[in-house]
Amino acid sequence: MDTSEIQAKVVEIIGRYAKNKEAAATATETTNILEDLKVNSARLVDVILDFEDEFDIEVEDDDADAVNTVGDAVALIQSKVA
Amino acid sequence: MAAEYDLPFKARLALAVQATVGRVLSIVWIPGAAFAMRVVMRYRIKDASNLRKRFRQLARETDTPILICANHLTMVDSAVVAWALGGSWWYLFNYRWLPWNMPEYTNFGFNWYNRVGVWLLKCIAIRRGGRREDVSGTLKRIQYLLSRGQTALVFAEGGRSRTGRIDLDSIAHGMGRIVNSVRKCSALCVYLRGDRQLTFSSLPARGDSFYVEFELFRPVSEHSGMRRSRDFSQQIAERLVAMEERYFDRRE
Repeated sequence: MDTSEIQAKVVEIIGRYAKNKEAAATATETTNILEDLKVNSARLVDVILDFEDEFDIEVEDDDADAVNTVGDAVALIQSKVA
Repeated sequence: MAAEYDLPFKARLALAVQATVGRVLSIVWIPGAAFAMRVVMRYRIKDASNLRKRFRQLARETDTPILICANHLTMVDSAVVAWALGGSWWYLFNYRWLPWNMPEYTNFGFNWYNRVGVWLLKCIAIRRGGRREDVSGTLKRIQYLLSRGQTALVFAEGGRSRTGRIDLDSIAHGMGRIVNSVRKCSALCVYLRGDRQLTFSSLPARGDSFYVEFELFRPVSEHSGMRRSRDFSQQIAERLVAMEERYFDRRE
């Protein structure tokens, strides 16, 4: 799976939890998940667990601390599926 | 998977200074806080002597880390929980059992004397929903303290219960994350509620009497990673919900 495919899946998953649906529709790798997409911080855990299911990976809490933007999420997933 | 937590020297030094200054001044501030609750606000803890006897026995018999996980209805719950469990004088000689807290910075950080006061009272500020690195840094300080024999208190929902009852859809992930990451850590589930506390508020009503119950609980999970932490948070919260249901059953 290439980067653009991963990013598309990531944006789709985050979009389910985003309060700002407009920003989610145009999200790029620099889009901040909490601030720009208005994802509730408590829901960020659900987002990452959905990544686990979608990409068949396992994420540790410490790994998830690095996820601020869509690009961070893509990088985390790439590091796990590699 | 449990991990041993260490901190940079500067962070360890800052915690050591905070704990030492707080402990030295505890001879003033612990009785002061108890005076404010007992005399000024006229709060009462139901069956306090039995509750404290049980808690002190638990403290004597426990040599593994304990995270106190409580429900949350008012902004002084952490003080009331600590007072209810240990009394006041007991903490002067068992300071490690006085729990560290993680208050929301915006609730107290607007002036310097609040910040100093909260610093003395074994608190590490957190900004809920803030930068991931900052939230993580606060949790790591708590993990570090627990792994070194201290006690900490977290609220199951992070903030106060907006409906007046524990909401299983609003459970704080950090609670399970701490229990998961600190080796042999157990959760001490504490349910606290004033008789006149209908929903959340800033302070309990003056003269209120508090029902307090606690249960030691060690969650288990077949999962690993973040899912395990999530599972732990859920189990602890469900335990608290069961305690809440028992409370309301007794009232009816």
